Parts: sequence; C-alpha cells; structure tokens
Amino acid sequence: MSEFTEPYESKWQAFLLLLPTFIVLIAFLYYPGLETFRLSLSQTILLGSQKVFVGLENYVTLATSSEYHSSFAISVAFAAVVVIGTLAVSLFVSYLLFEVDVGSSTYLIAAIWPYALPTAVAASVLLFLLHPSLGIITYYLEQLTGTSLDWFTNGPQAFAVVAVVAIWKQLGYNIIFMVAALNNIPETLTESAEIDGVGHLKMLYRVYIPLMSPTLVFLVVMDTIYAFFSTFPLVDLMTSGGPSGATNLLIFKLYRDAFEFSSLGLASAESVVLFAIVAILMYVQLRLSESYAHYGG
Amino acid sequence: MATQTGPSSKSVLGRLLPEGVETEQVIVHGGLLLSIFLMGLPLLLALVMSTQNTTEVYQITNIGVGSEGLSNYQTALNQYGFGEYMINSVVMSVIIVVGKVTLSLFAALALVYYRFPYERAVFMFILLTLLLPVPVRIVPLFDLMARLGWGNTLMAITGPYIASATAVFLFRQHFMSIPASLVENAHLDGVGPLRFLWEVLIPMSKGMIAGVSVITFIYAWNQYLWPLIIISDQSKQVVQVGLRFLQAASQSGLTRWGLIMAGAVIALLPPLVVLIVLHRPLLKTLAIQQK
Repeated sequence: MSEFTEPYESKWQAFLLLLPTFIVLIAFLYYPGLETFRLSLSQTILLGSQKVFVGLENYVTLATSSEYHSSFAISVAFAAVVVIGTLAVSLFVSYLLFEVDVGSSTYLIAAIWPYALPTAVAASVLLFLLHPSLGIITYYLEQLTGTSLDWFTNGPQAFAVVAVVAIWKQLGYNIIFMVAALNNIPETLTESAEIDGVGHLKMLYRVYIPLMSPTLVFLVVMDTIYAFFSTFPLVDLMTSGGPSGATNLLIFKLYRDAFEFSSLGLASAESVVLFAIVAILMYVQLRLSESYAHYGG
Repeated sequence: MATQTGPSSKSVLGRLLPEGVETEQVIVHGGLLLSIFLMGLPLLLALVMSTQNTTEVYQITNIGVGSEGLSNYQTALNQYGFGEYMINSVVMSVIIVVGKVTLSLFAALALVYYRFPYERAVFMFILLTLLLPVPVRIVPLFDLMARLGWGNTLMAITGPYIASATAVFLFRQHFMSIPASLVENAHLDGVGPLRFLWEVLIPMSKGMIAGVSVITFIYAWNQYLWPLIIISDQSKQVVQVGLRFLQAASQSGLTRWGLIMAGAVIALLPPLVVLIVLHRPLLKTLAIQQK
C-alpha cells in the first residue's frame, strides 16, 4: 500500500484504537477459551470448592459413555436434517423469488422475516400449535394422515418437531444469501440457456446450483454451526432433551452437566468437543472458499 | 427472466388468462404466496390465539378472535414481568450494538489507516475468535463473572458481546473500498485520526454501520442460554428467558396458552420491526459478510 492509504504513523495511536477490542477479546474470549482446555483436565470435588487434576479422565468418560455417544449421534443426525431441510426449502423459495416478475421486494421481506425470529419465540409458538392434545396444527395433521401424533412420548416424532422448528427459524438467513447469489449470475448466461430451450429444473441443476456453490458451501457450514450451537432454546423449551434422550443435543447435555449436575470438568471436555466441531467446519469453509477463488467460481 | 411462450405452447391455464399474462408467472406467484403463507401461518395463529382465554384455547379448532382482546398482552406486561424483561432486553441490545459498532470502528481504523508491525497477525488474532462461540467457553466465563462479582449485572450480559470479529472484518472491508484520494485529501489537511473517523469515514459508512447494527441487534435480542445462566434475579432477566417463566403460567390447573402466545408476540416485535425498517442496509452488509 502507498503512503497515502496508510496515512497515520503513530504505533501508539494504533495500539490505543485496538486496545478496547483486545481487552474484550482476551478477557472474555481467549482467556475463558483456554481455561476450558485446562478445566477439561480437572474434576471439581467438595461441592466445587476444590479442583484436582485428573488428566484425560473426563475425555475417557465421554468416550465410554453411551449417553454421550447417543447425544453425539443425535446431534449429527439433527444437523444433517436441519441443513438439508433448510437448504431444500430455501432453494425452492429463493428460485421463485428470482423468477418472479413483479413485487419481488415485497415478497422478499415476507420470505426473509424469520431471520429476525428469536429461537425462543419459535419454540414457544410451535410448542403450542403442535401440542399433542391442544395444537391446531397437530389436530389437522392427524385428521389428514389418520394417525395419532404424540411427540411428548414418541422420540422420533419429538426429533422431527424440533428439527422443523429449527428449519423454520433458519429459512430467512438462507434465503437472503441464496437470492443474492442467484442475482449475481450473469444475465447473458441465463439468456443463452433460454435460447437453447433448457427447461427450468435443468437450469436449476445444471447452471444455477453449480454457480451458487460457494454460497451453498458457506450456508452448509453456517447452518451446521447453527444446528449445533444455537438450538438450545428449542430443546430447553420444547422437550428438555426427551423423550428418553431423543432430543438430547450436545449443547443441551453440556448445559445440564455444567449447571444442573455441576460436573464442570466433564462439561469443559464437552466444550472442547464442540470447539473441535466448529474448528473443523471453519477449516472446511476456508479451504473450499480458497479453491473457489482459484478456479474463479 | 421469463421464457417466450408462443400461443401454441400455452397450457389450459394459459388460455384462460388474459393476453400478456404468462402461465409461468402465475405459477411463480402462486408458489410464492403459498410458501409465504405457510412460513407466516404459525405467527398468524399465534396472533389470533393470543386474544383467546383458556376455554377458547381448549376448543382446538377455534380460530376466531377471542374474548380477551388485548388483555393477555396487558397481563403479560404487568403481572408476568414482561414490561421489565422488555426494558432489560432493549437496554442490553442497545448497549451491545453501540459498544460493538464503536469498538469495531476503532479497530478497523487502526487496521486500515495505520502502519504498524504484525498487522496481519493482529487481524488473524481478531478473526480467530470466530472459533470461540459462547458454549465453547461457557464454564470458565461463568466462573470469571462470579469472581468479578458480575453475576446478575448488565455488564455480564453485554461485556462479552461488545467486541466482534465479524464487525471488525466488515468495517475493514468497507474502509478498504473507500477511494485513496479521499484519504489523501484528509491527510494533506492534517486531519487527526478521530476527526478523520468522525468527519470522513463514518459519513461514508452509514449503510454499513446500519447493517452491522441490525445484525448485532437481532443477534443480541436472541440471546437465551447465557442470560439464563448468569442472571438469577428474575427482575433483571431478558425477555427471551421470560418466555421460559411464562410456561409455568396457569389458571385452575390449565396452562394459559393465550398468555404465552401474547408473550411470544411481544418478544418478537422489536427485531421484526428493525428488520422490516432496515432490510436494505442489512441485505447489503450480509452480501459482504460471506467473503
């Protein structure tokens, strides 16, 4: 960069400008982040008054706990369902938003509003509307399918209900990015394909989706992080992890181990596992976005 | 974007339509209206049910406006603490927005307009905090707050959120896109860094500041797990956790679902209004975030 684009020389001023950000990041992010690793090697005894070093014992406990295994498996399955469901519905709506001739900005706001929907609000509303005995949606679903729904006692049904609420809340975010990606596709490409008489579905699969792939990868990563980290209110308000552990996501188990059972060492080890998950996802995103940059996609 | 459909290729639907209206667009509009209706349906039902009393709620298929009118809203606000929770949530979110925008503007100013050693390392140091969402550091953070004596305080629910990798990144990107000639002029006039920020950069970054503010406000308003843990004094709690307390509201042994729906609508309104009013800068800002 030339001298003019970095006009200020004082290293002290730069330091002072960065200082508030640094204080917050070090005190509330890096320090507790590192402490998590240290705590994961300890156990609290005497009602939390003393910590003893136990090496990898907490990790061994997690690795051999069938409850943790099932929580892990459920979380992975949950993330897969939420990611696929969110992407599929969002892609459908986004494609319609891209194709519509008039009123697109009004439609857009009406489609992206769930971005502002707080997770706890989504949980409260659908807990009632899908309530096994009082929910109006449950009532009509039962009439329609001729089955009886009771997700308060049926595990797979509870899993499905929580996933549906998670997807509903995440649609707005995904539609925002997909519509932007579709609008970035050069019009000449669309036009030439149309002259060749390529059908709509074919266009979507052969032209649009490949051109949107950097955005889609980004959304897969963000939606997966969302499914692992931001779904606590859904489980807390709707199922408390039940029935019999069917919705006991890692984030909910972490909360209970730490703040209900006071197993701080074990909970810290669970935090480290979550850290590994977010680190892997960010790495994948970084590598893939680099490769797109290289191939000019 | 529409394909040319000749008269011969028109479907039955197409032939019924007035000249110039394309079948394809009818399907697109129909699909959109249906999707939007389904996405909004739970909210519409919640709105209607929020006016019903317990008896009406228990008549499952009753979707008429109930006899409670707006009184469930009054009850939630006055008797179930939602007035207080809303104030707490607004204060928390506003502090986080103002704090995060200010701190991030300062940091971006240093990163873009200063030359200092290890610039890249400093930027990476900030970006790497993306790997540390709250659940990754929740136990030690709770510990730290206890040691600082910050339990039950506004400091505890705002402090950890007022610096952010995302906001610094966005402002940095934006500053780098500002033409060098402008910076040059300011420099030749001998304008100091804070005046430069205030008089040149901020007026040129209004859209970006608005966008970051919306993202931050919606994010802050949505906080649930951390306030639940760190705030035990119910009068200092935020509105999202207030919804948890409301689940226990009952009348002669029956859960007051109408009241809960009113609470949910109240807790949704501020971020929804912010999104609708400021959707333009929000969309522009998010378009940059992905990079």
